[in-house]
Amino acid sequence: MSGSRTRRTTSLLFILAAVLPIVLLAVSLNMGAYPVPLKAVWTTVHDALVPGRPAAEASPYADILFRIRLPRLLLALFAGAALAVSGASLQAIFKNPLVFEFSLGISYGAAFGAALSLVFLGRGMPAQVSAFFFAILAVLLVLLIAGRSSSQIISVLLSGIIVSALFQALLSLVEFFANPYALQALIFWLMGSLAHATWSDLSLTLPVIGLGVVILILLRWRMNVLSLGEDEARSVGVNVRQEKILIIVVATLTTAAATSVTGVINWIGLIVPHLVRMMVGADNRKVIPLSASFGACLLLVADDIARTAASFEIPIGILTSVVGIPFFIILLKRSGKVWL
Amino acid sequence: MKVQVRALTFSYGLFTLRVPEQDFGEAGITAIVGPNGAGKSTFLKCAASVLPVSRGAVLVGGRDMAGLSARARARLAGYVPQEPSFTFNYQVLDFVLTGRAAFIPAFSSPSRRDIEIAEESLCFVGLEGFSRRLFLELSSGERRLVLIARTLAQQPAVLLLDEPTTFLDPRHEVGMMELLRRLAREKQKTVIVTLHDLDMAVKYADDMVFMKGGAVIASGPPRDVLSEPLLKAVYDIDMGIVRTNGRLVIVR
Repeated sequence: MSGSRTRRTTSLLFILAAVLPIVLLAVSLNMGAYPVPLKAVWTTVHDALVPGRPAAEASPYADILFRIRLPRLLLALFAGAALAVSGASLQAIFKNPLVFEFSLGISYGAAFGAALSLVFLGRGMPAQVSAFFFAILAVLLVLLIAGRSSSQIISVLLSGIIVSALFQALLSLVEFFANPYALQALIFWLMGSLAHATWSDLSLTLPVIGLGVVILILLRWRMNVLSLGEDEARSVGVNVRQEKILIIVVATLTTAAATSVTGVINWIGLIVPHLVRMMVGADNRKVIPLSASFGACLLLVADDIARTAASFEIPIGILTSVVGIPFFIILLKRSGKVWL
Repeated sequence: MKVQVRALTFSYGLFTLRVPEQDFGEAGITAIVGPNGAGKSTFLKCAASVLPVSRGAVLVGGRDMAGLSARARARLAGYVPQEPSFTFNYQVLDFVLTGRAAFIPAFSSPSRRDIEIAEESLCFVGLEGFSRRLFLELSSGERRLVLIARTLAQQPAVLLLDEPTTFLDPRHEVGMMELLRRLAREKQKTVIVTLHDLDMAVKYADDMVFMKGGAVIASGPPRDVLSEPLLKAVYDIDMGIVRTNGRLVIVR
C-alpha cells in the first residue's frame, strides 16, 4: 500500500470506470439475436445524434437499436449501478460487510410490492410505487426487529432473513391468486430479466436511479465517518440518525426502482463493492463511485451473455447467482481482514 | 476552556452515577481515578456527551452541551475511545480525516486544508509518514496515537480520553503522558483522562478526581488531596505515600 504506485493505480481505475461503460454500451448495441454490423450501429447512432438528414433515409436498424436494444442496455447499466452503489452504501453505514439489498429485505419487499401491483392493479399504476412502499416497509421491519443492536452484524442479518422470508411467502400468495397468464409473466420477471424494458417503464425508473446514485456518490466521504459506528460518528459531530436515515431511504428507493422493472437480481450489491475494495482499499470516496461504474458494466455484460449465449433467454437473476455464490464463498475464505 | 458539571445523574441497571458539582480546570490535565466499576468511564462519557445525561448539565466554556448540535458539540469537546471497533481497514490518514466531520458539509469531501490539518495532527503525535499505513496493521500503541490525532484534527478545546495508557509498555505509557502534557501546555487544551496507574496520575496530572461507587470522593491537585486514608477509602487496600526528591510515590 505504498505511495505513488497505489495512487497511479487508482487514477487508472477511475479513467477505466469513466470509459468502460460507454465502450461496453457501444459493443452491446452491436450484439443480439439480429446482427447489426458495427458500421451500421455507428451510422445509425450518428444519424440520430446529428439531425439534418430527411426522415425517409432513416437507417433500417433504427427500430432495433433504439426501441429494443437501447432501453434494455440503459436499464442494465442503471440497475447495475443502483444495486452496487446501494450495496456499498449500506455496508458502510451498517459497518457490516455482509449487508446488501437482499439481506435487508429490500429485494423481496420490492419484488412483492411490484408483483402485487402487477397482478391486482394491472398496468394502471406504475409498479414502482408499490415496490418503493414495500421495500421501505421491509427495511423498517428489519431495523425494528434488529432493535437497538442494529449496529451488530448478526442481529441485522437474522432480521433480514426473517423479513425476506416473510415477503417471499407473501409473494407466493400473490402467485397463488394470479391467473395463469399473469403468473407466467410474474415468474419470469421474478427470476430477473431485462427483456421487457420499454421506454415507458424507464421514464420513471432511470431518473430515480440516476438521482439516487448521484446523492449516494455525494455522500461518499460521510460514509467513512458513519462506518465508524454511531457513538464515534456522533462524537466527531455527525447527526447520525438523520444522515443514516437519508442514506437508507435513498439506497432503498434506488434498489426498488431497479427491482420493480428487472425483478430480483441478487449478489451485484455484494460482489461489486468487495471487488472494488480489494483493488483500492476501504475508502468510500473511491469505493462508491467505482462501484457505480463497475456494477453497471457487470450487469451489462451479464445481460449480454443472458441474451446471446443460448438460443433462448437465460434469466439474468439466475446468471448472477451462479456467478455470485462461488464468489461469495471465495470472499469469505479470503477475508483475512485485508480489505475489510 | 472550563468544563463544569452540575447536578449530573446517569443510571443504567443498578448502577447510578451522581455528581452534584465538579469543575475541570483550563489548559491542564485532570486525571479521574478509582477502582473498577467506580464509574470513571461513564462519567467521562457523560462529560463528553457521548452518553446522554438523564439529569443535570455539562457546561463547556459556559455553554450547555445538551442544547447544542452534534456539530457544535464536536468543536468544543472531543472524546477519545480506548479502541475503535473496526469493520473497514482504512488508511491512517483517511481515519484521521473523519475527525474533520464537524467542519465538512454532509454532501462534501475533505479539502486540501482538511488534509493538511490531519497531517499536522499526525505529526504532533509523532506519526509522520504513517498516512498511507493501514490502521489494522499498526501496533496497539500506534493505534492509540492515531485515535488522539483524529481528535486533534477535530480541534476541540477539551479532550476526554478513556484509559489511554492501558496495555501500553512503560516506554509508551510515559510517551502517552508526555503527549497529553504537551497538549495541555503547547495547545492550551483542557485534558480530562481516566487512568488506572496512580503513579502516572500523580506525576502528570494537575488535578485528580477520586471516584468510587458512582460518586466523586475527593478532588484537587495531587499534593493537596492525596493522603493514605483517602487511598484506603477509595481502593480498600493499604497504600503508603513516600516523598522522594520532591516527588510523591505510591507504595503498595
